Amino acid sequence: MQEKIVKKILIVEDEKELMLGLATLLKSQGYLIIAANDSLFGISLAHKEKPDLIILDLGLPAGGGFYVLENLKNSVGTFDIPVLILTAQQGLDLEERAKQMGVVAYFHKPFDPEILLSQIKEIFNDSN
Amino acid sequence: MPKQEKTNKIDCKLVMQELKENPYKQLNIAFSLMVIVPFLVFFYLLINRLFTLDVLIGNTGFILATAFFISLCGYYIVYSILKNIFNTILTYAAQAKHSDQLKSTFVATVSHELKNPLSSIKINIYNIFAGLIGQVSQEQKNILGLCQSTIERMTRLVNGLLDLHKIEAGVVDVKRNRLNLAEISGKQIKEFQTLAGKKNIRIIKEFLDESLFVWGDEDKLSQAIVNLLSNGIKFTPENGTVTLKIYPDDKFVKLECIDTGFGIPGDKIGMLFNKFERLNATKEGTGLGLAITKDIVEMHRGKIFVESQVGKGSKFIMVLPRDLRSIRR
Repeated sequence: MQEKIVKKILIVEDEKELMLGLATLLKSQGYLIIAANDSLFGISLAHKEKPDLIILDLGLPAGGGFYVLENLKNSVGTFDIPVLILTAQQGLDLEERAKQMGVVAYFHKPFDPEILLSQIKEIFNDSN
Repeated sequence: MPKQEKTNKIDCKLVMQELKENPYKQLNIAFSLMVIVPFLVFFYLLINRLFTLDVLIGNTGFILATAFFISLCGYYIVYSILKNIFNTILTYAAQAKHSDQLKSTFVATVSHELKNPLSSIKINIYNIFAGLIGQVSQEQKNILGLCQSTIERMTRLVNGLLDLHKIEAGVVDVKRNRLNLAEISGKQIKEFQTLAGKKNIRIIKEFLDESLFVWGDEDKLSQAIVNLLSNGIKFTPENGTVTLKIYPDDKFVKLECIDTGFGIPGDKIGMLFNKFERLNATKEGTGLGLAITKDIVEMHRGKIFVESQVGKGSKFIMVLPRDLRSIRR
């Protein structure tokens, strides 16, 4: 019998309450969650754990979201991990820059949890 | 306050940089030219030998020297007064600029900082509502539903504030493309059908032509149309109608949103486009929608008017230029 592969999601978010809420929501859908609260920890976890998806905030301590993104996209082991951005920062230039760097989805805070879930499902369906 | 003075000096420099011509430079050139005049008279007298030793020692010499001295003093005094006026104007301009920048930074920071906690509250309430934390009774769900709609209202308020701040600070990037206003409006009407259906309101589409083009930003103009339609539906009682009419008018395209709602009293029409102005506090809203709509229309060098009759309904008329080249700056 084929064993169901549990998808691993890394959340890089410094807002503790939001991270807990996201983790609860995603765990309820059967995903395995790992979390980091700053840029450097996020990069090291991404390299170590090789998640199936990274949910990344842009306004992060210790470098910021774009620093994490640049590092991930320039590393052999992590360049192909899909990244989904969640941000409170405004600006079309930010969204364009993120998309040029290979981000698969871009969400403005406060986002709709149901739309986020369906987007994540879509990302996993596409990667399969 | 030395710190304030320092800030003012920096702002003065910034204001100066924005001016096309440096006023001090022009003032200095003007006065240098004016000061040359007494010297030219003096040299003229000297060259033509009118200024002999006899004249110099005599009364005429004394009168000429005094006149020369007085004219130079006069120039200096006028120069100082003008320079003081320039300084005062620039300081006030700098202070205004500084307070505008502080206000913009404040609004942007506060709005941005509100989004993170709003996201946390929203997702955690969703988790409770969806029963992910434990079983929830219907009564609890009702209260959570109220919290969710309050969060939605706060989100709209924060986004509205940010939009308004960006428009007023002039940092909005307006992409001008040739747009079919009829097509954009058609899309928005489709989006509003469900909401209108809940109140049994009929949205009537009256487009004189299916291709009515203007030069503008699709997102911004869509936002303006959404605001007008949403207001129309909000303030129209059940079984009413909201008509969206688009037609060309000389060098302009006119868009009218006509509702059969409660209408607006004449004395309130002037306040309608003010920020945070909510004429009917019982209806949900942020009071920013029409202020944003007006800013968007003006950004496209258009105009917006309202005609209303209490008890009969209101008509919002948006006038947009078909081609910006035909509009004088």
